[in-house]
Amino acid sequence: MTNAARARVAAWLLALGACGAWLYGHLTLTTDLSAFLPPSTTPAQRILLGQLRDGAASRLILIGLEGAPEDALARASGELARRLNASGEFAYVGNGAAGMGSREQALLFEHRYLLSPAVRAERFSVAGLEAALAETYRLLGTSAGVLVRATLPADPTGEMAQVLRQFAPDAGPETRHGVWFSRDGHRALLVAQSRAPAFDADAQRRVVQTIEKAYAAMRPATGHILLSGPGVFAANIRDTVDSDVWRLSLLGAALVLAILYAAYRSLAILAVSFLPAATGLVIGVTAVGLGFDKLQGITLGFGVTLLGEAVDYPTYLFMQARPGEALGEALARIGTTLRLAVLTTVLGALAMALSSFTGLAQLGVFTVVGVAAAGAATRWVVPAVLPVRPDLPAAGRGLPWLDRFADAARHARRPAAALVLGALAVVAWKHDRLWDDDLSSLTPVSASAKRLDRDLRAELGAPDLRYLVVARAATREAALQASEAMAAWLDDAVRRGWLAGFDVASTYLPSKRTQEARRAALPEREVLAARLDGALRDSPFRAGGFAPFLLDVARARTAPLLDMRDLEGTALAFRVESLLVRNDDGWNALATLRAVSAPAELAREASAHGTEFIDLKAESNTLVATYKNQALRYIALGLACIAALLAFALGARGAARVMAPTLAAVALDVALLLLLGKRLSLFNLVALLLVVGVGLNYALFFAGRYADSADKRRAQRAVAVCAGTTLSAFGCLALSRIPVLHEIGMTVALGASLALLLAAAFAARPA
Amino acid sequence: MTTGTRRLAEAAAAVLAGVALSAAAAPRPLDAYLLMRTLASVQTASATFVETRYSPLLKSPLVSHGSLSYRRPDQLEKLVVSPQKERLALRGDRLTIDTAAAASREIDVGAAPAGIGALIEAVRATRAGDLADLERNFVVEVTGTRDDWRLRLKPRTADVARYISAVSVWGSGARLQRIEVWEASGDRTVTEVEEATD
Repeated sequence: MTNAARARVAAWLLALGACGAWLYGHLTLTTDLSAFLPPSTTPAQRILLGQLRDGAASRLILIGLEGAPEDALARASGELARRLNASGEFAYVGNGAAGMGSREQALLFEHRYLLSPAVRAERFSVAGLEAALAETYRLLGTSAGVLVRATLPADPTGEMAQVLRQFAPDAGPETRHGVWFSRDGHRALLVAQSRAPAFDADAQRRVVQTIEKAYAAMRPATGHILLSGPGVFAANIRDTVDSDVWRLSLLGAALVLAILYAAYRSLAILAVSFLPAATGLVIGVTAVGLGFDKLQGITLGFGVTLLGEAVDYPTYLFMQARPGEALGEALARIGTTLRLAVLTTVLGALAMALSSFTGLAQLGVFTVVGVAAAGAATRWVVPAVLPVRPDLPAAGRGLPWLDRFADAARHARRPAAALVLGALAVVAWKHDRLWDDDLSSLTPVSASAKRLDRDLRAELGAPDLRYLVVARAATREAALQASEAMAAWLDDAVRRGWLAGFDVASTYLPSKRTQEARRAALPEREVLAARLDGALRDSPFRAGGFAPFLLDVARARTAPLLDMRDLEGTALAFRVESLLVRNDDGWNALATLRAVSAPAELAREASAHGTEFIDLKAESNTLVATYKNQALRYIALGLACIAALLAFALGARGAARVMAPTLAAVALDVALLLLLGKRLSLFNLVALLLVVGVGLNYALFFAGRYADSADKRRAQRAVAVCAGTTLSAFGCLALSRIPVLHEIGMTVALGASLALLLAAAFAARPA
Repeated sequence: MTTGTRRLAEAAAAVLAGVALSAAAAPRPLDAYLLMRTLASVQTASATFVETRYSPLLKSPLVSHGSLSYRRPDQLEKLVVSPQKERLALRGDRLTIDTAAAASREIDVGAAPAGIGALIEAVRATRAGDLADLERNFVVEVTGTRDDWRLRLKPRTADVARYISAVSVWGSGARLQRIEVWEASGDRTVTEVEEATD
């Protein structure tokens, strides 16, 4: 090793060491989706993301029990609820038993004078008490008499009934044998809210295991358990990643190694050929870490995909070195082309790096820095580590068919051109069905899991998650007041038939202002006693039986107001937390709506009251579409930069020779995906970026001018080996059961093959 | 033989004959199974009722009346006419409640508050002679004779016991005559049932 080479290797090791040390101390990986989204999103979208991230709803696990007779399922439901409650891992477990638990009942009863909307000063006047007592007497004569009588001495005005009346009676699912069931009676339903956050996949996996163990411990004779919800998805993905991804990655890696070994017949070269990509990964991650607060999990995934190209760089070098030639000399010959291969990718991603979208910018920075570092490592480190290329005895001999193929491809230009025109026609024909903007398509959740989730959600009668009314406020108290204001006009809307019902936080936790007003409406004990005597005089009730009432009112006058701490661990806290959401800007009071029939009218009424009516489905679609459109714009800009670079380096004709086959491959790839009935998502877009990256390299090396036919053959073989490794690695991913990996694998494998064929047909110069 | 001794002899003969007869027919003393079998033989029944609530909180008892109708095995309807109209209809596990004040509501009887649900279930299960169903919520005890029996129900679960201390149903043969409910609150409701003869 020369001194210069030693210095280079030392500098490289130092850089890697520094990056590694920095990453070890600073790298924070986040799976928080919101960082990946544009900063210009509307407040509605931020609420959506907040809900996805850590809303109470995101910690909800939907449970279905099926495959046994109705009564057995009902018993299992009760037993499972008991066991889950005992496990302590859940903030709330509900299976519909007796509507509300005794804990909730007791809590509501204790605070009835703060919760009842009927509590006003007039209600405790003689006339008000007379009216309330008359109503209570009326109820005593109905089938509910036994219930009314049970609390009569303490609650003669029926405040508990007033409190319960606000709770939507038909909001929940159907009840059979006292627990929730699907409408057809085949499935008992439960919900459990984990204490662990939904995005913590490991915690969620423990939660899922707790449920499965609890169910197994019940030793059900027949039947099985179904689980769904964001946390279950997170846990499942983690499980699938463990089984699927590792298996497929190992398979892909084995294939890549086999191909490279077949080409080089040298373990030393094999080892060295991974240095540039590894260097690119470490330095790329460090660059993102330095430039941004947190590294996005998605950035890392997408970035590693795009870095797939860097594995090719040393291949181009090794495969094109003449027998006995030092790598440095080979670099001198192919350096220009290799530099273009690296620079096209760097320029293509540069526009993205300047994006205002954190996610896109991270991906851009990662690609620019990672690919540049991999290129630099190929240029300077690889020749230093491996100065004289050990002879490749069989590199060419094993692949004579490749040479014949490359020649044949040139003669297939006409059919290939016809195919590309056909592809453009397909894309044009399907242009309105090109994109899939559904946010749920971005989740790596299988279609069957999504279907189960939808079914359970529908059966549980969870409120229509599509529509929300939102009021923003600076503090929790202000949000609760806004919640009360919303309830007032929504009540009117229900009367007008625009919706069947709604749920707001203030029903369960009124604002302090309202609670204080209600507390202030309660008269002093002596005053109340005197008025009660007056009211009882002509009533059917005897005097003297209502001491508990006087005591409770007196107590309520001085007792502290109800707050969130009092509700902890009850179904009520769960409702409040789902309907009162804190985010960076303050608080959002939500109203979930049931059976909306007039969304347009509701939207108008909402804005008239200074609140916002949100169609979450439309919002999430807009969000994804915005993101995609931004990405497309930057990609187009990147392509323009690439074209300019190539035109500068190769002239207009040369640029066209390189770009045309690559873009044609992308068009064919898209057309084939569309014909397979797929729509394009962000994942496909990233995969297509990689197709452009590797495709340009193929075309560049096919289009290169070589000293002799042996050099040209070597270049063609280098391209073939690169395409072979890409095809193996991504072909394996296409086998994955995870939709995202399948999509990426499929798109890249298909695109790389097409890019190879078209580059051979159109980019190569005649012999 | 004096008239006195003759009467005595006749009486003794009658007793002996009775003993012999009963030995031949072997009528078992009335138990829950026997009573339930008798009750289960009824296909449909309808009745008027008068329900009186006795309460220490009331100046005078609260009286309501209306009608009951039953169709084997699991349909029961309670129609209150006075003091205000109300309809409770039980069909299998589904309980429909119609009141003048609120819209009609159909719920699972198991989801109804224990006081309402268990009571209407108790009446239906008694009428249907469904011992298994009765025993789900109550400990059942039967006393008396075929023509004058009393069915005592004690709640099994805390949910039910919160509202109801005990229920007694009196009847004769396959007829229900009187239902008494001792509520946990200290009130007692007495329902006199007048079953129509078919």
